[in-house]
Amino acid sequence: MSKELIRLRDCVMSYGDEVVLDHINLYINDREFLTLLGPSGCGKTTTLRIIGGFLSPTAGDVLFDGVRINDVPPHQRAVNTVFQRYALFPHLNVFENVAFGLRIPKTDQSGRKVRIPEQEIHRRVMEMLEVVNLKGFEKRPVSALSGGQQQRVAIARALVNRPKVLLLDEPLGALDMRLRKDMQNELKRIQQEMEITFIYVTHDQEEALAMSDTVVVMDGGRIQQIGTPEDIYNEPKNAFVADFIGESNIIDGVMRSDGVVEIFNRKFQCLDKGFAKDEPVDVVIRPEDVDIVDEAAGQLRGTVTSVTFKGVHYDTIVDFYGFKWLIQTTDFCPVDSRIGIKIDPDGIHVMKKSQYSGMFGDYSSYSEEYEELDVVEDEEAEEEDGYAD
Amino acid sequence: MKHSNRIGSRLLIGLTFLFLYLPIFLLIIFSFNAGDSSAVWKGFSLDWYAALFKNRLIMNSLYTTLLVSLLATAISTAAGTFAAIGLYSLSRRKRDALLVVNDIPMMNADIVTGVSLCLFFVAFFQGWGAFADWFNGVQSAVTLPEELTLGFGTMLLAHITFNIPYVILNVAPKLRQMDRNLVDAAQDLGCTWMQAFWKVILPEIKPGIVSGALIAFTMSIDDFVISYFTAGSATSTLAMRIYSMTKKRITPEINAVSTLLFLSVLVLLVLINVREIRQERRAASQEIRKPSFFERLSMKFSQPSFKWVRRGAAAAMACAFVAAVVLLTGATSSRPVVNVCSWGEYIDEDLIAQFEEETGIRVNYQTAQSNEELYSLLEIGGADYDVIVPSDYMISQLIEKGMLQELDYSRIPNFELIDDRFKYLSYDPENKYTVPYTWGTLGIIYNANMVEEEIDSWSALYDSRYAGNVLLINNSRDALGEALLYLGYSVNTTDEAEIREAFELVADASRRGVFQGKVMDQVFQKMEGGNAAIATYYAGDYLSMLDNQADGVDLRYVIPKEGSNWFVDAMCVLKDAPHYAEAMEWINFIASTEANLANMDYIWYASPNREALEQYPAYYEELYGEELDPELYEIMAAPPEVLERCESYVVLPPATRALYNDLWIQLGA
Repeated sequence: MSKELIRLRDCVMSYGDEVVLDHINLYINDREFLTLLGPSGCGKTTTLRIIGGFLSPTAGDVLFDGVRINDVPPHQRAVNTVFQRYALFPHLNVFENVAFGLRIPKTDQSGRKVRIPEQEIHRRVMEMLEVVNLKGFEKRPVSALSGGQQQRVAIARALVNRPKVLLLDEPLGALDMRLRKDMQNELKRIQQEMEITFIYVTHDQEEALAMSDTVVVMDGGRIQQIGTPEDIYNEPKNAFVADFIGESNIIDGVMRSDGVVEIFNRKFQCLDKGFAKDEPVDVVIRPEDVDIVDEAAGQLRGTVTSVTFKGVHYDTIVDFYGFKWLIQTTDFCPVDSRIGIKIDPDGIHVMKKSQYSGMFGDYSSYSEEYEELDVVEDEEAEEEDGYAD
Repeated sequence: MKHSNRIGSRLLIGLTFLFLYLPIFLLIIFSFNAGDSSAVWKGFSLDWYAALFKNRLIMNSLYTTLLVSLLATAISTAAGTFAAIGLYSLSRRKRDALLVVNDIPMMNADIVTGVSLCLFFVAFFQGWGAFADWFNGVQSAVTLPEELTLGFGTMLLAHITFNIPYVILNVAPKLRQMDRNLVDAAQDLGCTWMQAFWKVILPEIKPGIVSGALIAFTMSIDDFVISYFTAGSATSTLAMRIYSMTKKRITPEINAVSTLLFLSVLVLLVLINVREIRQERRAASQEIRKPSFFERLSMKFSQPSFKWVRRGAAAAMACAFVAAVVLLTGATSSRPVVNVCSWGEYIDEDLIAQFEEETGIRVNYQTAQSNEELYSLLEIGGADYDVIVPSDYMISQLIEKGMLQELDYSRIPNFELIDDRFKYLSYDPENKYTVPYTWGTLGIIYNANMVEEEIDSWSALYDSRYAGNVLLINNSRDALGEALLYLGYSVNTTDEAEIREAFELVADASRRGVFQGKVMDQVFQKMEGGNAAIATYYAGDYLSMLDNQADGVDLRYVIPKEGSNWFVDAMCVLKDAPHYAEAMEWINFIASTEANLANMDYIWYASPNREALEQYPAYYEELYGEELDPELYEIMAAPPEVLERCESYVVLPPATRALYNDLWIQLGA
């Protein structure tokens, strides 16, 4: 799992003055499940399209197995793509959709055109339909399939060509929540079964964390952080990553010394080291890392302003000195009650100040912000037709 | 209240449809009429359809129409489809802007499109001429043709031009509906762009392409105006042919051909609409249903294992199409040709067939509307006629401009048969350019049952007693000429005072409401139906009116005592005629006694052939089994003493022509 397969070296993509990708450096290992994660317009789809060969970077190199492939057209690359909204061929049935790539004559090393024999096509298509659990559907027109089934056809159509890398562009975006969860497991299973590299694009952080070996968080055409899902979640590099991945309370703080950070004029023990003395920092405290205690016993004291029941826990918004925190806890605290909190040293993560500092406010308008974000992202995806993401 | 409203609106709908469809319905009914009237039903017959299919000119133009429509459809469909794909790959703003630009030619008046294309082609030909001249001068390996003219090629280009927007309009929405990622997906799966086009884009937008092609074909078949301006002289489509046939009287043959045209366009429209409805239905119901037999067949056929069958069928069809085009054009172009331009209803068409049979030369017979139209067509270089048949005054103008070519009389022995009265006339004093075709007089035609006394003077035209019943000829030369004759002046006077006096006479009568209107060919219907009392027109036309006059109408013809105009129409050959030898053969053939007799009998204009003039009464008797009324024959071929009183037109100097124009405009409609 350690052999490097694809490398993007200093890739820049710009349209006139508009820079879509800003010096991307990235490598992808063989058989890795790598996710490009970020909001609309962050450059993740552009990166995918550069790897797929649909776009050529303005500057920089794309290497495949150490060979520069900037100018290799898509049909000559050993990658296949599962497109947003599947892009199945409506005039062909399930079988013919999957068989599409196999029927295109390939040129071998001596320049001769080689066709795959019909029997082999049939065998491989049926095999693939079995992998995606679509046996018996081969004669159906694709328009007669459900969203999930269409998704499987799209995956089968790409995988039947035995690519070294499968690119997936928000493949689950059009599915409902339950189906999405099922398909996540399914995709992971297929990836392990086929033993190939998956490069997955999504704006859904849960999806990214659940499936990936490596997550690449992107924003504004730049890579913000590369790491395992655990790294990304527990050790976000800046306020953007912290905010985008999961819920977080991001508070201005000052590093007083190694292992001591000051927020709201109170010193907290933490595990972070290596900052200058009295350096201003961003402090991330995950909502589930906060313990609610009696007001008197708390390191900080505040007033509950709203409580929302979420099933396993309550989302509790607490006002600390004018700053609203989100705390996830199984204890119910009524609105207007005074509470105290305690935070363990490993519940505190200190980050250097960045361009994102101060951009993510407190949770005073929490619920609205939550919903708006989803709606906006859906609309943008529609408008862009999956192009200059 | 409400109830009456509903009746009112139903009545309105009923009337609307009545007005829309009754005329077409009548046209279809009368195409099956046994008689040749377009008003009286004389029983059912298919004679006019039979006549139609025997009519070479109509069949020729039908062939031209189909060929131009099919070729234009094929080419514009391909070009429009690729243009639409190109548009589709642009950004949305550019695409929308270009689609608006694409809409403009469709909204544009046909006449503007036609005229501008005509101007463009002619301008291009001039530039080409200069280039070819230079190119042929600097090298001798390749010889480029220096003279290009309007013809089938330019008409085809024009049709392709006006069809492309319709194809784009139909293909663009299908592209918009198509998932953009389909092309990427195909390329991702190993297709080159071209393979992706054939395997994915084409099947997706096929419905749009087919309806675009159908609409383009309908537009092409239907077009008149644009073809008229770009077809040049030697080509006519069915619509143009029908138009030239309506110049005098609408014959049931036109009803028949119009019926067929209407039905074929109707079938195409129904086809287009049925396709659209079916597509909508298919889009609406996405559930699986059992495919019909034909669908199963076509599914079977579209399976990859049938690829070779499919390719074979496509190749066979393409070969057949190419072969058909080559055969059809080849069959017509391998033979020698002569291009003739004459007037509508001005020849016994059997003569054309006879000539072709005897000589093996194909006759491309076209018609023009008037001397003036012919002249302007020749002047812009938009015609490649060999033989034209202009009237005397126009001939002198053409000679003056050096637009005619001397004839080789040694190859026209029948010229000897032309009566001396019609040789060496003022328009061609040395008789180097012309062989007369017909001659005749201008006179007064009146309905004896609508006037009080026998008419023998031009004064009747200006007489208040006949207010509202006089038809003024819609042609400044004739209308003012009549007034000049009445006043005792020459029809060729250049004296401004005399011309103004003549104009005053006409203008005064006009103010007094004497004239019902200014007419040319409507004179037939008006006089035959007894809707006007007095008109002036040509003797030959009077005779054909006589055949068709309604009950209670008693038409007479008189050459007024003040004298009149007599005219000669003569065959000439244009300066750069491409088929000079064939033209000589044609002229000699038409100058023969037999041809002159046949023409005289068909068009009722007098022949200039001495023998034909003598033999016609006997010819008539033999043909119809009754004696030819000598009085009528005198009207047709005026005797020398009558001709003495008449004067032929000579071309007027530009200043006088301008004066005529000014005065004529002052007279108003």
